[in-house]
Amino acid sequence: MLPTLLSQVANGLVLGSLIGLIALGYTMVYGIIQLINFAHGEIFMVGAYGGLAALTYLLPAAIANQWYLALPIALVAGAVIAALVAVAAERFAYRPLRDAPRLAPLITALGVSVALQEAVRVFYPDATAALPFPSIFIEGTLEIPVPGGTVPIKYAGILLALVSLALAAGLQVFVDRSRTGRAMRATAQDRDIARLMGIDPDRVIVLTFLIGGALAGVGGVLYGGYLNNINIDMGFQNGIFAFTAAVLGGIGSIRGAVVGGLAIGLVKSLGGQYLPGGTAYDYVWIFVVLIVVLVFRPQGFFGETERVRA
Amino acid sequence: MTTVQSPVPASAAPVSGRARGAGARGAAWLRVAGGLLAVLGALLPWATFVLNEGPYPEKATLQFFVAPLGLTGFRLHLALLGLAAILVSVRAVRGRARIVRALGWGIVATSLVNGLYITVEGGGLGAITASGGSAAFGAVVALIGGAFAAAGAVGGGIEPLPVREWRMPWWAEWLLLLVLFGLLLLVVSAVLTSGGQGGVVNPYAGAVFLSFLAAAGGAFAALHASGLLTWLAAVAERHRVFSIVVLLVMALLLPLTGAGTEYWMTVAANIGVYAATAIGLNIVVGLAGLLDLGYVAFLGIGAFVAANLSGAAASEIGIRLPFPLVMIISAVVAGLFGAVVGSPTLRVRGDYLAIVTLAFGEIFVRSAQNNIGGLTGGANAIPNIPQVSAFGTAFNESIAIGAVTLPAGVLYYVLIVLLVAVVMLVFGNLKNSRLGRAWIAIREDEDAARAMGIRTGPIKILAFLIGATLAGLAGAFFAHKTAVVAYDSFRFLESVTLLAAVILGGMGTIPGAVFGASILFVLPEKLREFADYRLLLFGLALVVIMRFRPQGIIPDRHRRTELAPVTAQDPPPAKGAEA
Amino acid sequence: MAFLEVRDLTVAYGAIQGVRGVTFAVEQGQIVSLIGSNGAGKTTTLRTLSGLLRPVSGEVWLDGTPLHRLPAHEILAHGVAHSPEGRRLFARMTVEENLRLGAYTRRDEAGVVADLDRIYDLFPVLGQRRRAKAGLFSGGEQQMLAIGRALMSRPRLLMLDEPSMGLSPIMTQKIFDTVRDLRAEGTTVLLVEQNALAALALSDRAYVIDLGRTTLSGTGAELLADPRVQAAYLGEGVTS
Repeated sequence: MLPTLLSQVANGLVLGSLIGLIALGYTMVYGIIQLINFAHGEIFMVGAYGGLAALTYLLPAAIANQWYLALPIALVAGAVIAALVAVAAERFAYRPLRDAPRLAPLITALGVSVALQEAVRVFYPDATAALPFPSIFIEGTLEIPVPGGTVPIKYAGILLALVSLALAAGLQVFVDRSRTGRAMRATAQDRDIARLMGIDPDRVIVLTFLIGGALAGVGGVLYGGYLNNINIDMGFQNGIFAFTAAVLGGIGSIRGAVVGGLAIGLVKSLGGQYLPGGTAYDYVWIFVVLIVVLVFRPQGFFGETERVRA
Repeated sequence: MTTVQSPVPASAAPVSGRARGAGARGAAWLRVAGGLLAVLGALLPWATFVLNEGPYPEKATLQFFVAPLGLTGFRLHLALLGLAAILVSVRAVRGRARIVRALGWGIVATSLVNGLYITVEGGGLGAITASGGSAAFGAVVALIGGAFAAAGAVGGGIEPLPVREWRMPWWAEWLLLLVLFGLLLLVVSAVLTSGGQGGVVNPYAGAVFLSFLAAAGGAFAALHASGLLTWLAAVAERHRVFSIVVLLVMALLLPLTGAGTEYWMTVAANIGVYAATAIGLNIVVGLAGLLDLGYVAFLGIGAFVAANLSGAAASEIGIRLPFPLVMIISAVVAGLFGAVVGSPTLRVRGDYLAIVTLAFGEIFVRSAQNNIGGLTGGANAIPNIPQVSAFGTAFNESIAIGAVTLPAGVLYYVLIVLLVAVVMLVFGNLKNSRLGRAWIAIREDEDAARAMGIRTGPIKILAFLIGATLAGLAGAFFAHKTAVVAYDSFRFLESVTLLAAVILGGMGTIPGAVFGASILFVLPEKLREFADYRLLLFGLALVVIMRFRPQGIIPDRHRRTELAPVTAQDPPPAKGAEA
Repeated sequence: MAFLEVRDLTVAYGAIQGVRGVTFAVEQGQIVSLIGSNGAGKTTTLRTLSGLLRPVSGEVWLDGTPLHRLPAHEILAHGVAHSPEGRRLFARMTVEENLRLGAYTRRDEAGVVADLDRIYDLFPVLGQRRRAKAGLFSGGEQQMLAIGRALMSRPRLLMLDEPSMGLSPIMTQKIFDTVRDLRAEGTTVLLVEQNALAALALSDRAYVIDLGRTTLSGTGAELLADPRVQAAYLGEGVTS
């Protein structure tokens, strides 16, 4: 009993920290331009394929087989490609609609999401089916002994969780302490007044997409390394989870995104284990949580004001 | 103390009369030359060799020397467009510049489609210019002609859209409308069948269809530019009931035209299902302004309810009710779910509401995938749903009336036409009712609507309920027509497609949703060659539409906010054309 | 050419034309007021000067540089700071963060720290609670912070929109005293006020804006004495 419970908790925390990492992109973009960037999940997916491309086509096998060489290169490749795609989407799809009525950018984001997913499916070799993702970290599983058995955690999962949490913490410090972080918060609170302070909102918004995209790209590569296989649907599904996490934590809050992500991860793993229907319905519980939160506490755990747009 | 006069902008300085006269003459020559070149291009050969997959349609592309004047297909279209451009250029016609511009663009588009296709298939520009001793400059000449005509039209200055206010006795107008709608039927039939059934049957179906669309689009735009379409719309508006009846009759006559084959009846029935669903969605999104991203679930609920009450072997319930009753039950159940999904609108607005509806949609798909309660068949779907039948005839059989044999599926076609007509009627009446005005008030400004005493909560839920009911009706039809209901037909992407249909056509309008659904279903059917890129293009199209024409193809005249920016409003409607 | 020259400024606000022909000049080191009734176009004028709105036509020149085509964040770099109507502080940030945002474009950390101290000297109440969130302060204190924030960019031209709005007479007096001190330090001030009496008493020069146009101008004293101004703006405009 106990080992099962603890394994599910561990699984939930690993998945949850990844969802939190993706949620950072949602929460920052929504905080600044009030856009639900539906395409953000696809950015995560693009990052995973970018990392895979670097490992498959860029690196000689001798390097790709050494995880301490392959890992940083794959992470950088995933982050760069994801960030570029995110910035391009902002520049060409969202920016022209900055002052358009509210439905337009949302539908555009849906379009970008569909287009990105399809672009990978059509143009990435063999992407019509799931692709194997090479190992990029110490292989194997850490067995933690507990009363009644052991709790297994993949080393790649530990890496995923630690890197995600570290990046989130780093982002929190950056936004809280740095001059640029202050400019981001100012733009989120009152864009016009931020302009009066000499802040160029366009640059802040690009930076936001860039950071969010890079974080998602890192997440995509780590996710591939953890599950050892990726597919083009991973973006939509995890993207929705991450959005749920962002709302749950309170949109605009970095701390909230992480806590929300962990909560969603736990709901999925524990719900799949203990709630009726099993893993077939774990997905459903997340959406139930999403609806309940949106209806009864739209400001989430850490939201300071209720951001409900008319 | 200051009083300042705004200076006249330099660009407004008047051009001297002589310069303008010379420019206008030049433009006129350019228009005529453009038309002539288009006709000439149509007469020239188009390809230097036989393409890999057999001769390009309307063999004339290769057989100039055999039959120089044997114009068929796209070459006939080009010649007609070119002749029209010449005629309009030499005669004083109101709205001339706009008409020629439209014709010019039609010529450009038609020659581009065919030229590009031959180029790609023939492996380079040699295929449409000169290769191995033979020359084929048709595409180039026609393209230049179209560009000349368009440039000449624009160069002469574009005047405002002419307004025509002819009046005729009522019987003449009725006759006119009858002819008009008859022509419309033929055009619809021609659009459906042009290029034939895509895929293996005809490798050039996509090119032929696109070419036809380009030519027909040019002709249609030219008609619009002449002010005739606006006038005809006003005439139809004067005889509203007559028009609706005639249109309905014409729709029912489609099986008697060239489109009367089982294949096209099926395509048309599918369009009908999604059109009816899109109209329901249009109530929620277009009228009440509530974005629903999980709407296809209601179609699914209707379909699954119908499947379970159809007596299909795989259904858990295993009873068989008469089809009309099944439809009603499906609609009611879907409507109830609509009310449930809509209830968060009491507390949630805007983007967040969209996400709530998305979540409900995903819960539905997941549950259906897992065969919840044994009601959905899960991955196995519910197959072998019995056909609807009446008077001993199953609806998927072909029927004979006297000497005329109607294709299989015609009865489903008739049924869906009637269903769509009912749905349109419901939508039209709702839109102009107290309830419709309340929805529009909520869409424009919910707080103001509440301040005016509108009870926004129940009214928003009602929008969801009615929209879902219509989708449920369509779902019951869908289940019987396709005979299989699987969860896979009701994924998120389908909801996005429905939303795209509503937006593409024009939010808040009846023809918009039907038109949008038709485009989104006919195009993939026709362009099988591009099937791999279908969704990619679809996604990009959403982005482009939002950027350049967010109000859709047939915008709602009275609509002000949500999607169309204030500056992009259409010009005020012509006199006598109020909807 | 005067320090600030505004010529025939026209601004359209959606379909409504808010400003249609505002012309005035401000000399360096002066306090100049724009007065006029509600909706006359004073705030719109300031928002256009600072680049938040784009003029349809007309020109804005500061010390020989055209500003009317620049975006807001570049106009600040030319030495124009705008303390907007209603203060518009970053309510969820601390006093110090608000002030530091005012100095966002400055790279001289030592100078910024010195200016922070100067603001805290000027408004001791801010200095005592520099880590408190701006949203928690009273109206008068917020106004001080808004002015302080605008000063942090070391502007050559300070534009204040309704600094006395919602303040007690004592607090209003304190704000106006501060404005006078700023002039003494060499800052040029463009003031928009409903409280015409106080504004005119303070100003070297003033312009009356009516229905989107500048209609009258003169020294503060001249306008105070003008019967038309007395009738239109001083009768009930004294309080508020």
